[in-house]
Amino acid sequence: MQSVKLKVSYAPFVRTKDSIESVMYNVALALAPATVMSVYLFGMRALLVNLVCIASCIGFEWLMDTIRKKPASCLDGSAFVTGLLLALNVPSNLPLWMLVVGSFIAIAAAKHVFGGLGHNVFNPALVARVFLLVSFPAAMTSWPVPFAVDMETAASPLGILKTDGVEAAMKSLDLMSGFYGTMNGSMGETSSLALLVGAGWLFYKRYITVYIPFTLLGSVFLFTAIFHLIDPAAYAPPLFHMVTGGLLLGAFFMATDMVTSPLSVRGQIIFGLGCGLLTAVIRLWGGYPEGISFAILIMNGFVPLIDSWDLNDRKAIHHKKLQTT
Amino acid sequence: MNTFRTGGIHPPESKLTGNSPIEVMPLPSELAIPLSQHLGKPAKPVVKMNDEVKKGQLIGEADGFISANVHASTSGKIKAIKPHPHPGGQYAMTVFITPDGKDEWAEGLECAPADWKRLSKQEILRKIKDAGVVGMGGAGFPTNVKLSPPPDKKIDTLILNGAECEPFLTADHRLMVESPEDIVTGLEIMASLFDGPLKIAIGIESNKQDAIETLQRYALPKQIDVVSLKTKYPQGAEKQLINAITGRIVGEGELPFDKGCIVQNIGTAVAVCEAVCRNRPLIERVVTVSGMEITRKKNITVRIGTSFSDIIAFCGNMSDKTNQVISGGPMMGKAVFSLDVPVVKTTSGILFINNLALGKSMERTCIRCGRCVEVCPQGLAPWLLANVAQLRHFDEIQTLGLANCTECGSCTYVCPSRRELVHWIKYAKALVANRQKRKSA
Amino acid sequence: MISDVFIPAVSSLGAVALALGLIIHFVSKKFHVEEDPTVKLVNGILPGVNCGACGFPSCGQFAEVLVETRNSTMTCPVGGADLAAKLGEALGMTMAEPKPQLAVLLCQGNNDVARQTAEYLGIQDCWAATQAFAGPKQCRYSCIGLGSCIAWCDFGAMRLENGLIVIDKDLCTGCAACIPACPTGVLVMQDKKASRYFIACNSRDRGAATKKACDAGCTACQKCVKVCEDNAIVIEEFLARIVQDKCTACGKCIEVCPTKVNCIRLENDLKAVKQKQAS
Repeated sequence: MQSVKLKVSYAPFVRTKDSIESVMYNVALALAPATVMSVYLFGMRALLVNLVCIASCIGFEWLMDTIRKKPASCLDGSAFVTGLLLALNVPSNLPLWMLVVGSFIAIAAAKHVFGGLGHNVFNPALVARVFLLVSFPAAMTSWPVPFAVDMETAASPLGILKTDGVEAAMKSLDLMSGFYGTMNGSMGETSSLALLVGAGWLFYKRYITVYIPFTLLGSVFLFTAIFHLIDPAAYAPPLFHMVTGGLLLGAFFMATDMVTSPLSVRGQIIFGLGCGLLTAVIRLWGGYPEGISFAILIMNGFVPLIDSWDLNDRKAIHHKKLQTT
Repeated sequence: MNTFRTGGIHPPESKLTGNSPIEVMPLPSELAIPLSQHLGKPAKPVVKMNDEVKKGQLIGEADGFISANVHASTSGKIKAIKPHPHPGGQYAMTVFITPDGKDEWAEGLECAPADWKRLSKQEILRKIKDAGVVGMGGAGFPTNVKLSPPPDKKIDTLILNGAECEPFLTADHRLMVESPEDIVTGLEIMASLFDGPLKIAIGIESNKQDAIETLQRYALPKQIDVVSLKTKYPQGAEKQLINAITGRIVGEGELPFDKGCIVQNIGTAVAVCEAVCRNRPLIERVVTVSGMEITRKKNITVRIGTSFSDIIAFCGNMSDKTNQVISGGPMMGKAVFSLDVPVVKTTSGILFINNLALGKSMERTCIRCGRCVEVCPQGLAPWLLANVAQLRHFDEIQTLGLANCTECGSCTYVCPSRRELVHWIKYAKALVANRQKRKSA
Repeated sequence: MISDVFIPAVSSLGAVALALGLIIHFVSKKFHVEEDPTVKLVNGILPGVNCGACGFPSCGQFAEVLVETRNSTMTCPVGGADLAAKLGEALGMTMAEPKPQLAVLLCQGNNDVARQTAEYLGIQDCWAATQAFAGPKQCRYSCIGLGSCIAWCDFGAMRLENGLIVIDKDLCTGCAACIPACPTGVLVMQDKKASRYFIACNSRDRGAATKKACDAGCTACQKCVKVCEDNAIVIEEFLARIVQDKCTACGKCIEVCPTKVNCIRLENDLKAVKQKQAS
């Protein structure tokens, strides 16, 4: 009994087993089906892209921690998830040096400049993707064909929709193959099935709530459906929009990023609606075929505003009560 | 199944002693009885060094309106009156008694008193006050004060708290199974203090099915409801229990009687029964001794003032891996800093744990997952309170509902970043109180 | 090409800029607030650290009130006599000199002499620690030793050494911002003196308990009281206290103090002070 040295801390003395690591690696696990699909569809080159992105993100995280003299956080899983998300958001034939540049932008410019994990305003992987898209538009929009042997590339269904119109786009894609994933696109965004399986895991672990993804998808669906009904010849049907592009990847894995989404239910609904409407507007009338990345980044910028609205409401409630009592 | 409206968590129940009958622990060789075992002013000592006292004799007299009497737990000699470690974490004036082994009751206490139904309300309240009965769930609010709300507050619901939502603790559970008659009698006595129609309910979490069945047998014939509650923490917190049973919300700055409710603890009901029916002051209580690091986990009846080290000796031994000894439950208890601390009226359990999540800088940055907001039963934003507390913006923090936090610890429990949210909130509360004290001085 | 794109772009943007500039100019003229140049002058003299020692939340507010009321008793404790003279010069009046003060720690219980109870592993802050228990040291009146006051000090005068706060007397301005940071009240303000004796202990426990907890604790043995010729030492709540007005700094009390680590402390060596004055 003498050997026992008592230690004092504050209650509670039992804690959840969840940690930053478990949250992050569970997100990575939820992305596993999409990653496996990417390798299945686009071959070993896709695996290489995944590995390069993850390794360089972790490497830059370590570098930034060292420069900023912070405790090492490179293995806490957040850099791993950023790297994985970045890889799934680019075509599989992207030159490797571009991936490294993208990883640098994600970790250094989008995350550590703001103060590291928990302080970044914008989703790091999306910032990197958009940076690559506007810097290297040709490389970022030449999509390898699934199961291609000779690096054959073609336009994505959304690209065809933008340039050649609805009829050509609908002809290029059968919706079921879009659902399973055998279409042109970024590595991780083609297979809706794999993404839905991963999202199911996140819902089961309660790491994401239903508000953001469902308001986002719902508003895109409704918006495109309305215009499809008005003029079916000029606007693609809503289901086409659902399965193509990065909509599902964005809705379930990028918009729901804890750090860059609002905390309150009300805020999450506004955020989801905003993302959905912006995505639809960009897709229907914007200069780019795909709008989800821009939509989420724009709404990321509004999160502090949405949160402060919530904060002021809280203050108003308690202020009123403080005065009455 | 009834439950409260917002938030809540479900930590592993770890009720290791739910089926162990209550044992009586023999008298220790020394008793240390603090004069402050309740909320409010410490009692005034009415004995001197070397005085001979009898079991149940008054040694500390209630000092002021919110205070409670303290009695000798056995017969013996007063060895000293000095500051001594208290399970609440501070030092408190403590009366040390060396037992003479005879364990003799003080005069007038061994006689069987009259039927309580013939006593007036004033007499009942007097008896409860004299016996030093306080809320035995943890806060230790003097029971007689709680049972005499201001006359303009109409009480229509009396709730007995059998939720025992803290993990590990089973003291109330065993009491409900083993002495349902005393509990129901105590509840009836308390109910007799109020005029007009009164709804009486006992709220029990559904993980204690045997307690629900036992109490139903005794309570239902007397028009007392036994309400089965969902197993969810903090179901046993006063405000949450009222919400679960009546649907009413006790708001910011309000007390339960503002909503016509009074909540009492199971142990308190037994103590009221002992005080009124048998004239016995509160000198012993049931304590759960549990946790992974003690050999024999059990529920024991101990005298108030028995030191933790004596209890360890009675329950086998604690392992070398023990790094924290907790007085109370693991969610809202206190880690004691010395094994000399005694059991007091509010000690519901003693836990011996090997807490691996300990370290000086375990806190990491908030990843804004929003879980603390999700689980807060009071609808607050704990992450925000903690951030503002860290920045020491004490004017702002009060507008964020600081006073509304009940310190249940749910937010700290769920935080994946290991942030000490409730500790930061407690820190802000202490500094806000200190600032007000300095301003008024 | 240039005339097609460049000229319309430049001219339209230029027109917008001109319009906005005119609006800003008009608004700034219209809503111009006349600022008293004396306030600006006084504000320039003040230290500008907004420590709150004067009782105002900021130096700017102090300056405004001073210029408005011309109250000569208003003092800035941080600036001391020099600043009072400068303020007087600026305002054309004689300002009262502040009584210079100093934060003093009434504890010598460092990790070597003070006995510990349990290890504390919560938030590393003194107030937070006292919410969990009485503190890691056995003496509940002692310096907790987690250094919360360091963060509250605007002047960097505090540092932590071996579980005890050390105050740099040259850097301490006497603003008292650190006082609310201390939960045990072991940090107090005292008048600044060239040299002083004081009891560096805060323990109100009885002698035996104090001795058990710490080697540097005052046990209220009365020896210093008896030897003091100026009757400058009193004992209250088992703790000696030196009445600063009566103390002549003769040093006799230090010689008789029986505690292992002298609980009576001499701050600033008298000999050194005298030498300085002589030279």
